[in-house]
Amino acid sequence: MNFFKRAWLNLTAKKGRSILLILVTSAIMLFVLAGLLIRNAADTATSNAKQSVGATVTLAANREAAFKKMRSSTSTSKTSRPKLTTSPVKLSDAKKIAKLNNIASYTATVSTSANATGFSAISTSGSSAGGMKGMGGSTTSSGDIAISGVTSTSATADFENNTSKITSGRGITTADEGSNNVVIESELAKEDSLKVGDSIKLKATTGTKTTYTLKVVGIYKASSSTSTQQGPGATDPSNSVYTSYTFANTVKGSKYKNTADSVTFNVSDPAKVSAVKKAGNALINTSKYSLTTDDSSYQTVKASMDNVKSFADKIVWLVAIAGTIILALIVILMIRERRYEIGVLLSLGEARWKIVAQFFVEMVMVLVVSIAIAGAGGKFVGNQLGKQLVSQQTTTATTGSTSTQQGPGGGGAPGGSTSGTKPSGNMQAGGALGSSSTSTQKQAELAINVTVMDLVELGGFGLAIMFLSIMLASGGILRLQPKKVLIE
Amino acid sequence: MLKANDIGYWYDRQENSLFEHVNLEFKSGHSYAIVGQSGSGKTTFLSLLAGLDKPRAGQIELNGEPINQLGLTAYRRSHVAIVFQAYNLFTYMSPLNNLLTAMAVTNSSHRGDKAFAMEMLRKLGITDEQMTKNVQRLSGGQQQRVAIARTMVCDAKLVVADEPTGNLDEENTKDVIDQFQKIAHEQHKCVIIVTHEPDVAATCDYAYRLAKHEFTLEA
Ligand SMILES: Nc1ncnc2c1ncn2[C@@H]1O[C@H](COP(=O)(O)OP(=O)(O)OP(=O)(O)O)[C@@H](O)[C@H]1O
Ligand SMILES: [Mg+2]
Repeated sequence: MNFFKRAWLNLTAKKGRSILLILVTSAIMLFVLAGLLIRNAADTATSNAKQSVGATVTLAANREAAFKKMRSSTSTSKTSRPKLTTSPVKLSDAKKIAKLNNIASYTATVSTSANATGFSAISTSGSSAGGMKGMGGSTTSSGDIAISGVTSTSATADFENNTSKITSGRGITTADEGSNNVVIESELAKEDSLKVGDSIKLKATTGTKTTYTLKVVGIYKASSSTSTQQGPGATDPSNSVYTSYTFANTVKGSKYKNTADSVTFNVSDPAKVSAVKKAGNALINTSKYSLTTDDSSYQTVKASMDNVKSFADKIVWLVAIAGTIILALIVILMIRERRYEIGVLLSLGEARWKIVAQFFVEMVMVLVVSIAIAGAGGKFVGNQLGKQLVSQQTTTATTGSTSTQQGPGGGGAPGGSTSGTKPSGNMQAGGALGSSSTSTQKQAELAINVTVMDLVELGGFGLAIMFLSIMLASGGILRLQPKKVLIE
Repeated sequence: MLKANDIGYWYDRQENSLFEHVNLEFKSGHSYAIVGQSGSGKTTFLSLLAGLDKPRAGQIELNGEPINQLGLTAYRRSHVAIVFQAYNLFTYMSPLNNLLTAMAVTNSSHRGDKAFAMEMLRKLGITDEQMTKNVQRLSGGQQQRVAIARTMVCDAKLVVADEPTGNLDEENTKDVIDQFQKIAHEQHKCVIIVTHEPDVAATCDYAYRLAKHEFTLEA
């Protein structure tokens, strides 16, 4: 393999030219590396986002179908007021869906309301009852305390994204099923001098109007932003209490046993959301119930990262193509300048491919040094570029998530309110599904690190560039007639 | 060992052929000179013998085998060593590396034998110090001697040289010519030298003159 030695002798003898080649190659490699780094970082950020940004599937009554039914009944009997009938979700259905792949956990939500007995609810200016009637058109009376029956408070969106925080005692857990334990808001606790361990009484507004005694096991603080999410009909957010879903069902009446307004499933891999929905739909009666997905926060992060990634991809390819052209031109010039040397080799009877191989080895040697240089400089360039990109992308990400928040959170997701037949507290559940913006900004940070894998990938690109350049330039070698060079 | 069989050559767009129906034989252990006027076609003829080009008519045989059957690259690698007026050395190497490279490329039986290469260079008056510095720092005469040493370390039985003394002074010319004779007579190779210097031609065993498209043996 004499061409290795020749390559080495050539590079060391022509130091000035070698240094120039190394500088040009380093510059090209540096750009390719920067692109690769950003792309890889965006990849990592996307998969991190998958893990920490939740995506959910919610099982609730199929309101669309219910509306259709209502409309058709309106046309037949114009005298009676149309009524929207929806069925509460059966927990047995929920348990079946929970067994599907990619479902990490689930929470059932039952919303109702009751009247404070022996303590006073916080009253806000602006009548709540009027708003309620206008919105739902329902004849059902509503209580002044909104009850959110949940499987566990920690799994609700408000607690998950820290909109609400337990400040004293504990939250509702699955262990509270069947109990009369309650978690109340701190303002309400202050107003009525309630603390953990105290008891409160709530009187149902429907049916037998039973009075229940509940034990305060925890106090939570809702951040002010929660109130902005309240629908027009709801009472003051501080009047929202959390109980086990079983208690909320009891308040609503015996026919609501083992049901929920909605059940929210946390999907472990947000990318699988639609697959989960499809599998879930096979398990339920879709004319009565529907599954709705919410992976908007994941999609927002993914979209912003996809932007960064596709930009980085473009950089990588642009630089690779430009680099190939530049290097090919340099190699072509170099080979022309070395016609004489090629002629001598040919006159000695050297095979042409070995001459091409010598040039390739020379360029690979240059490449190795250049990759070392690019690796040293890559972290710096990548960091600068990454910062630039993220500051742009985060802006879009936040804007994106703000708009999604208005959707399910404000208007009430299909799963949230079934206000036609139910008391007012439903807005609570609707609000819980929506907000997602907090985690987005956190995810948009790009970690730029030069790893061995990056350098290996860079080496692959470099080799490909060198190979192409030499191939483009070698036409000259393959056609060169030794007689022309040596004699004429 | 080398035979020109009825060969002819002309360049494209040339009215007359440079030569036609040339039948010559070159034997190992002898030296041959080819003389003739400038432009008569000496270099062209030599390039055919060296396997750098193909004759338009006829063929060249090495020990009875047509050289294009051998393959011109293989023929150049194993059977011919070429010395040109312009030395044709690797300019980025030392004299020693020039020899070692040629030995490696031609797959010489002395391949990798550094001591042998140095011995040959010393024989041609290249000092140990000169051997390892860049070949371009040597004088023309010294460079030509390196080119000759290169033919000696390769196994090729045929040595062709085109005006090897063209750039050399009288003393260097004598030196170089002596070496060629030694290669022919001591190493039993076949040496063919194109020259327009009568002195050089006179030292060779035979001299052919190319004139009027024909080769004639001179006394
Ligand atoms: N590539 C070529 N294309 C066309 N004609 C050529 C070419 N090379 C040489 N010739 C012509 O062929 C003729 C012979 O050239 P050649 O180089 O063989 O002569 P020469 O005998 O070696 O001359 P000199 O003694 O000056 O070196 C010349 O007339 C030259 O002009
Ligand atoms: Mg000539």
